[in-house]
Amino acid sequence: MKPAPFEYLRPESVAEAVATLDLYGGMARVLAGGQSLVPMLGMRLMKPSAVVDINGLAEELGRIETRGSETTIGALVRYSDAETSPVISERLPLLTTAIRHIGDRQVRNRGTLGGAVAQSDPTGEVALVALTLGATIVVVGPAGEREVPAEEFFVGSYANVLAAEEMITGLRFGVVPARCAFFERGRKHNDFAVLSLAIAATPEPDGTWHDVRVGMGGVNDRPVLARATMARLEGARWDGATLAEAAGLALEDADPPDDVRASAEYREHLLPIHLRRVLAAMAKEAEHG
Amino acid sequence: MDEAIEITVTVNGTVHREAVEPRMHAADFLRRVLGLTGTHVGCEQGVCGMCTVLLDGEAVKGCLLLAPQLDGHEVRTVESLAEGGEPAPLQQAFKEAHGLQCGFCTPGMLMTATALKESGRRLDREEIREEMSGVLCRCTGYEGIVNAVDAVINGGARTVAAEAGEEER
Amino acid sequence: MSDGVATERRAPGVLGAAVPRKEDDRLLQGDGRFTDDVEPARSLHMAVGRCPFPHARVESIDVAPAVAMPGVHGVFTGVDVAARTEPISVLRPVPGAVHLPFYALAQEVCVFEGQPVVSVIADSRQLAEDAVEAIWIDYEPLDHVTDTLAALEPGAPVLHPRQMDDNLLVANPQHRGDAEKALQGAAAVVEGRFHIGRVSPLPMEPRAIVAEWRPGARELTAHVSTQVPHLVRMQLAESLRLDEGDVRVVTGDVGGGFGLKLGLYPEELLACLHAIDARRPVKWTEDRLEHFRASTHGRESVHEYRVGADAEGNFVAMTDRYTTDLGGQNSPFGSAQLSSIVFSGPYRVEDGEVERRVALTNKTPIGAYRGYGQPEVDLAREVLIDRLARKLEIDPLEIRMRNLLTAEELPWRNAAGAVYDSGDYPRCLQMVADAIDYEGLRAAGRGPGADGRYRGIGFTAFVERTGYASAKFLAKRGSRFGAHESVTLRANRSGGIDLFTGVSTFGQSNETAFAQVCAEVHGIDFDAIRVHAGDTRATPLNTGAFASRTLIAGAGAVRDAALMLRDKTLRIAAGRLEVDVDELEIAGDAVVARADPARRVSLVDVHTAAIVGQGLPEGEEPGLESTAHFEPEDAAYAYGSAAAVVAVDAETGEFEIERFVLAHDSGRIVNPKAVEGQVRGALAQGFGAALTEELRYEADSGQLVNGTMLDYFVPTASDMPRVELLHTEVPSPVTPFGVRGVGETGTIPPGAAVANAICDALAEFDVEISSLPITPESVWRAIRKAGNGGDGLEG
Repeated sequence: MKPAPFEYLRPESVAEAVATLDLYGGMARVLAGGQSLVPMLGMRLMKPSAVVDINGLAEELGRIETRGSETTIGALVRYSDAETSPVISERLPLLTTAIRHIGDRQVRNRGTLGGAVAQSDPTGEVALVALTLGATIVVVGPAGEREVPAEEFFVGSYANVLAAEEMITGLRFGVVPARCAFFERGRKHNDFAVLSLAIAATPEPDGTWHDVRVGMGGVNDRPVLARATMARLEGARWDGATLAEAAGLALEDADPPDDVRASAEYREHLLPIHLRRVLAAMAKEAEHG
Repeated sequence: MDEAIEITVTVNGTVHREAVEPRMHAADFLRRVLGLTGTHVGCEQGVCGMCTVLLDGEAVKGCLLLAPQLDGHEVRTVESLAEGGEPAPLQQAFKEAHGLQCGFCTPGMLMTATALKESGRRLDREEIREEMSGVLCRCTGYEGIVNAVDAVINGGARTVAAEAGEEER
Repeated sequence: MSDGVATERRAPGVLGAAVPRKEDDRLLQGDGRFTDDVEPARSLHMAVGRCPFPHARVESIDVAPAVAMPGVHGVFTGVDVAARTEPISVLRPVPGAVHLPFYALAQEVCVFEGQPVVSVIADSRQLAEDAVEAIWIDYEPLDHVTDTLAALEPGAPVLHPRQMDDNLLVANPQHRGDAEKALQGAAAVVEGRFHIGRVSPLPMEPRAIVAEWRPGARELTAHVSTQVPHLVRMQLAESLRLDEGDVRVVTGDVGGGFGLKLGLYPEELLACLHAIDARRPVKWTEDRLEHFRASTHGRESVHEYRVGADAEGNFVAMTDRYTTDLGGQNSPFGSAQLSSIVFSGPYRVEDGEVERRVALTNKTPIGAYRGYGQPEVDLAREVLIDRLARKLEIDPLEIRMRNLLTAEELPWRNAAGAVYDSGDYPRCLQMVADAIDYEGLRAAGRGPGADGRYRGIGFTAFVERTGYASAKFLAKRGSRFGAHESVTLRANRSGGIDLFTGVSTFGQSNETAFAQVCAEVHGIDFDAIRVHAGDTRATPLNTGAFASRTLIAGAGAVRDAALMLRDKTLRIAAGRLEVDVDELEIAGDAVVARADPARRVSLVDVHTAAIVGQGLPEGEEPGLESTAHFEPEDAAYAYGSAAAVVAVDAETGEFEIERFVLAHDSGRIVNPKAVEGQVRGALAQGFGAALTEELRYEADSGQLVNGTMLDYFVPTASDMPRVELLHTEVPSPVTPFGVRGVGETGTIPPGAAVANAICDALAEFDVEISSLPITPESVWRAIRKAGNGGDGLEG
């Protein structure tokens, strides 16, 4: 299980990295945390001509920055750093919680948020949170920088809109709803999700909920929003009947895979049950302050 | 293509300058180039944790790091733990708690636990299990390992009964 | 002799003490010596090209592109192997089975995905893998069969048409009494078909070999990660057409075996053959992709089991017709053979029938795996006993108590002919029932509780065969090894003892346990004993470490060798001290007179005198060394009971094991910490196979779909349920010191106890569980399928 030969390149700036990617025209891969890329190289599932190591670019890519209500997390910020960042736990608590479900300590010490988004695993926690919170993915290529809403970024299983000569520089989050919850079920501790749910919403004093966002992982070829559920919950009081109905609507946006972790049928069975329970727990918690 | 890369890396306090193939991972570098065979390789898929070493003080999986990436960094391996032939407290604790059997996972466990200890965090047993979950053991059922780590980071071994009490509160 | 020794001992009770392990210091410091740690200068590296199909004819192989690559030093295909080697021999054949030649590289047809087809040696593993990629192999895929029972259906593709007309390798029926008649007269009969999933033993160290050949010396040295160095030496010599004396197998530390490293594999033979050609050391370390496809799997079987009882719940008969999946080839140990021997468990069953069938399928060969049939049959029997209890409206604890053999009834010969030696089976069951407060829990009801979950309790009682009945028993079955173990002790001039054993060290704590026995019997300090394990050049020819037999046989060999050494040591000392031998004893580092401890001579002096042959008593021969071979009189049966308490979410099928209590008896315990470690470790594997682990083949493609560490779910520290252990210590009358084996106990109870607990929780809905692993999804499916009101559970 040793990789095929490749050239190892270590650019000194993002601009140089992009130029390198451009030069190799799709035959180069960006190496960030390496937690997914390196095993794929070893299994020879990928045989790039060059590996572009961006780990030296922490100055440009390794910061967590705030500007007003906006929070930008550099692509090279590692899970462990995000997990313990007071800025993230205060502004994006959903992300803090979600990260605890990723891999193990060693993987979190190396894996990066940008790498997670680029990997576009349908069960990926960071992708799910980005989607749920309406983040944009900041991308840079030979033509300059562009921001892609997370909803447009993921286009299939391990597939996204990133061009071969582009790379992710960061994740940008705006204002997020007041309350959130993250849920995950896997076949073993912190394994890839059979089902994951990310929810954010703001309860009003009158008992109604607003800005409702419900994201789902593991139930489609990419992380998806439960749009029908969101519509049903928006502006509504979250009583038992409403939640049961709303949770059932989540199936409209689900098209789960059959794989070694669970059958499609079982994922469809679990989805409304756990969604209802998580929503009910949020509603109960809001009631009690 | 595939040209050797010159790197300078400090391993267990010694500075090494070596030319490495890009397609060699860090665990193979430590084992085959430096002869530090205490770091084991179990899966090369980033799951089993046998190859865990400390990179600038943090536990990482050596099979998921390319050797050229070590350039300019500091690595610690299991060979660094005993000082002057005296076992480190963690090593002693593993021995006392029967935290090893075949010993193949032991270096990975020890390095993961070393980083945990150095972080200064105090953890309950569930948290210890979570922090140690990146290294698989097929021999011990983990009980002795958790006992050893608990003893070292919390200063005293606790029993299953104590663990039960903790879960209940 | 066995009991006399314990009372004669002078050392302060090292046998039975939780002494720190001899193995630990090196392993804790990264100074273990595993096979991949060995790399002689100028080593070449081997990579193996494998068949990607479950069943395919090799039409052509073009190795030219690989041969032409710089850095490549040799390529083999099946033709080379057929011309120059003999097929790999089976060490533990199935009685009556036809011989299926198993060459190291495929001949014409491949019968499983991952079967070696070509091998290459090159300057580095990377280059060797590049070369394998460059070899063009043209395959013609053939119809395949991966399902165990489907393989036995008429019309299934036949894997070995030259040797067989179908895929049934053999059927071995055994019986006593007339089970059919007994069942006809029974008040209640339950029957079920149980599927036990295919799993990987998955030692954390993959297999590895480093081979060196010196043609002038005609000496092959093979460093191999194996449980049985002497058997691998025999197999290498046979397959390579060498004399056994030409072959040396060196086994250092082994990173776990669990049955997977029992006997020769194709890659080991290939590395040796390459080394012979290249006249350079050749190294191969299995990677994890290969491991899942080319190292033996375990467990997969289907049990069709029946239990009958009278109206009071007394068992009248048990029958088990089961099929083990062998995979595509007969590996050196083949599929599990112990389900037959312990099929009726610890119960009083006079009439019984058991039939073992072995089916060939287009999958990786199955080999030995810790438990070797015992966890499989435990699931079938114990789940049926619970169903029977429900049918007769008898409490599941009560029905077991009523049928367990009592201490007074032992020894007992079961319907398969196995003799259970001694023990108190009901006591263990009562201990686990008390530990969980069975009556209190039962009174609290099944729920659903405040958390919406149902609570259930599951029991299992079992026996575990440890060691072998006898060499005679093995001979009848054609086994190519004995039931004995052999040890050499050699005094050294530092006043210590070098202990040589062919049992390699892979986590059993054998070095520690052997030294404990030696110190106990001989009297020397535990620390003064140095254990040298696993080098066939130095160690006496033995059997090896498997079947929980190491200590059962090994303790006797150590004891006998230590007694011989002690006697001579005392004779020499008696001469020097001018004291009668009977008045002397060995105490730590010296021989002393009991009556006058000031009269002493150090072991340094006694050993040196013997070694140099100077200053010995008249007529005493020089040298101080002893070798003993010991065969125990019979197998010893360990036993135990477990109770699981689970909480089940009936809506989702998700469940949690809230308590798991195991009470077991491993006879006299040599080292309590080592025993606890063995039990807990085996339980972890038991829980893995019961709950998460399963190698899955997709029927249409015949491909292994989860052959990576990412997709094969090994329990982590966070996945283990909390386990409470209880012990009893009834000595076995058939072994030295009364020890029983302990290595496999923990693998047996998890599946049955958890299955029974879940079914108990959902008893009012008649939920049945009949397969492993038990996953939330499988529980949900069982709930849906339940005859009576499964729907009512949802929503």
